[in-house]
Amino acid sequence: MSKREKKKNDGLYLSDRQPLTTAKLISLIVSYILLLFWVFVIVWPLAQIVISSFNGNQSSYISIGGEYEFSLRHFSYLFSETYFWNWVVNTIYIAVATALLTLLIVSFTGYAYSRFRFSGRKASLMAIMLLQTVPTFAGITAFYTLHSIIAAVIPGFTRQFFLILIYAGGGIASNTFILKGYIDGVSTELDDAARIDGCGSLQVYRLIIMPIARPMLAIIALWSFIGPFLDYMMPSILLNDPRSYTLATGLHTLINDSQNMHQPVFAAGGLLTAIPIVILFIALQKELVSGLSSGAVKG
Amino acid sequence: MKVELVNIGKKYEGRENFTIRNIDLVIEENEFCVILGPSGSGKSTVLRMIAGLASITEGDLLFNGKRMNRVEPKDRDIAMVFQSYALYPHMTVYENMAFSLKMKKERKTVIHESVLEAAETLQISEYLYSRPSEISGGQRQRVALGRAMVRNPAVFLMDEPLSNLDAKLREHMRVELVRLHKSLNTTSIYVTHDQTEAMTMADKIVLFDDGKVQQIGAPTEFYENPANLFVAGFIGSPTMNIFHGKMNNGVFRTDNDLVVVEPKPEDAILLKPYEGKEVCMGIRSERFNAGLAEKNNVTVKIDVIEMLGKEQLLYCKFPDGHEVVISEPGYFEYGVDEDHDFNFDLDGVHFFDADTTLRIN
Repeated sequence: MSKREKKKNDGLYLSDRQPLTTAKLISLIVSYILLLFWVFVIVWPLAQIVISSFNGNQSSYISIGGEYEFSLRHFSYLFSETYFWNWVVNTIYIAVATALLTLLIVSFTGYAYSRFRFSGRKASLMAIMLLQTVPTFAGITAFYTLHSIIAAVIPGFTRQFFLILIYAGGGIASNTFILKGYIDGVSTELDDAARIDGCGSLQVYRLIIMPIARPMLAIIALWSFIGPFLDYMMPSILLNDPRSYTLATGLHTLINDSQNMHQPVFAAGGLLTAIPIVILFIALQKELVSGLSSGAVKG
Repeated sequence: MKVELVNIGKKYEGRENFTIRNIDLVIEENEFCVILGPSGSGKSTVLRMIAGLASITEGDLLFNGKRMNRVEPKDRDIAMVFQSYALYPHMTVYENMAFSLKMKKERKTVIHESVLEAAETLQISEYLYSRPSEISGGQRQRVALGRAMVRNPAVFLMDEPLSNLDAKLREHMRVELVRLHKSLNTTSIYVTHDQTEAMTMADKIVLFDDGKVQQIGAPTEFYENPANLFVAGFIGSPTMNIFHGKMNNGVFRTDNDLVVVEPKPEDAILLKPYEGKEVCMGIRSERFNAGLAEKNNVTVKIDVIEMLGKEQLLYCKFPDGHEVVISEPGYFEYGVDEDHDFNFDLDGVHFFDADTTLRIN
């Protein structure tokens, strides 16, 4: 959005933009109103969640506009009456494993598709992309069968582990595309230089390309990490023990029937769910700021 | 190290034809060899094959007589400076320079010493702990050189290393590179499209065009005895003047008789077989003498004057519109649109076969 800079510098007009005409001023005001409306739509429900989760007067349903009394009642319910800790641990385990697995696989595929020429390169890239258009959920029966077959051979192959494979596998295609695009932008002269300096293909990736592609890898990691936090459908079908649920599925049990309705507790759980994601985001913030590769080649 | 290319050819995957073929070249130990050519002539391909970054389709690459075709780049005892410098952006200058030795698992103290020594030589000690993005283009260029120097290579490969520098710095680095080459006692192979760089730096120039070697030799040979019309036109600034014509009774004549030149006796003998055939005559701008002589005169109208100080370039036109560039000392007085007489210095006249473009005299 346009920012008007009116600095009081002896009345000099210092902005590089042309002064606003009435028509432009009106359109500016309209865009601000639209933006404010948009902000309201996003922020108001979030605010209600935060307020309700700390409101001791809320009972099974969240009601807006009632009396407010600060209390941690809903949080203590969450920790004492539900498997919340299990859900947190499960989700973080699945999320971390998904993120790591995705990073590992996408590193190989993205680098290979960007740097190596092999037969079937284009065709296979298109093929994974097309397969991606089929929703994961469509394969649910196949997943069931697949899991029972694998579990029969490898007894330790849990449903949670299967979930990780589904999440990681689902993200490979699009992430490969993204990473390939990013690595394409890194000069191949760097590869050449590294090769002369004594690197093999894997070392070129690990020592040169990967550090440069860190901002993109951080984004991929963040998104793969968030995925299991958001998905409620797959775990609710695949996992059968409430103790093995993820956060989304577990919290859903608090609002999915009127006998056990605990909307404020659900809100409290939702609030806590945001914490790990926020922590990861802060940790990755430095990586997310790109621009590292500037100065690699001329300038 | 002596580098030999024996009948080398390269065909890229998915291409119909060979990019370069039948290249024979010997680069002697401690020689500064410049591979010169217009873009797309295959000169970088040759360098990449020597470096091991591009595979060799046919022929042999020999280092000191040993076949290197299938040796990994890192084991060839070479170092390369890239056009874009290709510094690792996430490492400091020091780490960039130490990288190759670190890959060789050299001892830390040895690495430290050689990095400091190279930094000293190149005067980049101050920036050792800066990242490439924080230093200027000229400094990056030095770091790229330093990274190559630290390896202490037997062959130093450079791929248009000066093309990203400004004119002043380029001039300075040309001299410095030659000095560096001498002090390092290595064989240097330098790729460029800039004939000034080639002329000023090389012990030996290899001129490439269209995937073929056009001429190999010392800079002066290129200037004074270009092997064919392409070399004649490529080397030298301003470009050599070329006239198309026929030999008639031992005299060179253009079709409309505007230029009539009687070659000197030595050339006349060589031109005998070309009697009545199409021949091109070339003459450099400085080989015109002002004024009239007994014969071999031309009269031209001055179109544009470029004053360079010590000399001036006269862009002249014949009555039929054919252009010719003549250079005369700066203190001569000429005016635009004036007609002037010049005569040809017969020692500076080159004759080429119009069919094969090869040199005759």
